[in-house]
Amino acid sequence: MDIEQKQADLIDHFVKQASALQGSALCPLIAEATSNTSLFAFSEILAIPSVLQLEGTSNSVYLDVLRLFAHGTWSDYKRNAGCLPQLVPEQVLKLKQLTVLTLAETNKVLPYDQLMQELDITNVRELEDFLINECMYAGIVRGKLDQLRRCFEVQFAAGRDLRPGQLGSMIHTLSNWLATSDNLLMSIQEKIKWADSMSELDKKHRKEVEDRVEEVKKSLSLKKLQTVSRPTLTSEGMRRSTLNLVE
Amino acid sequence: MASSSSSGLTFKLHPLVIVNISDHYTRVKSQMHPPIGPHANDNSNGTDGATSLPPPVPRVYGCVIGIQRGRTVEIFNSFELLYDPSTHSLDRSFLEKKQDLYKKVFPNFYILGWYSTGSDAQESDMHIHKALMDINESPVYVLLNPSINHAQKDLPVTIYESELHVIDGIPQLIFVRSNYTIETVEAERISVDHVAHLKPSDGGSAATQLAAHLTGIHSAIKMLNSRIRVLHYYLLAMQKGDILCENSLLRQVSSLLRRLPAIESEKFQDDFLMEYNDTLLITYLAMFTNCSSTMNELVDKFNTAYDRHSRRGGRTAFM
Repeated sequence: MDIEQKQADLIDHFVKQASALQGSALCPLIAEATSNTSLFAFSEILAIPSVLQLEGTSNSVYLDVLRLFAHGTWSDYKRNAGCLPQLVPEQVLKLKQLTVLTLAETNKVLPYDQLMQELDITNVRELEDFLINECMYAGIVRGKLDQLRRCFEVQFAAGRDLRPGQLGSMIHTLSNWLATSDNLLMSIQEKIKWADSMSELDKKHRKEVEDRVEEVKKSLSLKKLQTVSRPTLTSEGMRRSTLNLVE
Repeated sequence: MASSSSSGLTFKLHPLVIVNISDHYTRVKSQMHPPIGPHANDNSNGTDGATSLPPPVPRVYGCVIGIQRGRTVEIFNSFELLYDPSTHSLDRSFLEKKQDLYKKVFPNFYILGWYSTGSDAQESDMHIHKALMDINESPVYVLLNPSINHAQKDLPVTIYESELHVIDGIPQLIFVRSNYTIETVEAERISVDHVAHLKPSDGGSAATQLAAHLTGIHSAIKMLNSRIRVLHYYLLAMQKGDILCENSLLRQVSSLLRRLPAIESEKFQDDFLMEYNDTLLITYLAMFTNCSSTMNELVDKFNTAYDRHSRRGGRTAFM
């Protein structure tokens, strides 16, 4: 959540600038926005009409770059490197950070091998440095590095810009979550009722037994002490009579 | 008498003060002769032929101390004072003695005002208030309402300040209510938490303890549920187009949803099932032990009963 706050001013700044410019003047602005170290959200800039007008013009590659940064990964860039302009190192770094975010979307446990393949990093040391310095210190990811099992457990990852279909799946997940918690609440309530009713039954039973003990005590003390009453075959009866004898 | 204050001071109240005041009040109430209780009215005032009023609920008085930094007044602690009904004032010499003692232990604390119990601030309180004005030029008056009102959701504590208002052409000091927040130190938080979670341990059966524990979990999940519902509704409205798409919020929601499921690895399943099985095993063993000891007792009693019956004058029951 703090990332959103950190970005909010930057987003405002770029949006204002972009709405004032047109056409090819937007290109250096886009380059600046994508290289900025704290900016990870681009959908606001994508929504500005003058940016969208770049579609189809000679500068549409910049729009594609912006779209790539909003939704794509490093492997997307490599695949389409021919039609996209060359990226400066800051942009490369930014794109790799965004790639980590995308990977964290699907799995919570990211194996080092997958990360190294996606990010074009050859050894574990570099990967860990990248994860620690660029991702965790920037605050976009929080998690634990498990070197023994060679994986990265993600506990928190900042959100990327939404793809058009993603809203539907988010709503679906939320409704599932709601349904599960509703069920859980119902079952907890049932358990509470069960516990209460069981304790009621127990109390009643105890009271009954004590009442009968009292009854038998009274009826036995009326008879003379020499004649020991013939014990009944039930265990309760025996217990009752022994109580009488012992006292 | 009590409108809202305009002095702009922020008040922070520590739970220790509230606990002190209520403890003072409870002690005094329970030590009064005759004791005030729900059925004390039949015993007391028995000589009166007419219907007797219940003895007046005692008011307790004391001083509050704390720190004032700029516009923030933080009330940390309090101590009790004796009220002299004849002079309608608080015992001044005792106050000063206590003040010196507290100054030695807490050099930063100043006397910020005084407290009392009751349902509303009264005119006579202004005398005490004015008397304290030579120690602190604008003292605060903390009022605790000791009557228990189950419908009331917030604390029955009000903080009053005094302000000079012109009423009927005469400038008078009146009490005005101020807002306050509760501020806790770690130790206070632990003790309040402890009191809040008092389980009925007076031999309340396992069922009531279980019910209490489950109720706690239930209310926590209910709160979570209501918040998720709000998010869900919000997203639905956004999808329908009723609300503008706010990207920053959407990003935060998506990052939140990515944290589900909270734990789902094989290792977790293994550990969890192992612990679950261990607990079940132990419960089973405990039941076994219980049953076997009951059986043992029963057999002892049976032997005792039948022995005396069959072997009169014989030896003691074999065991």
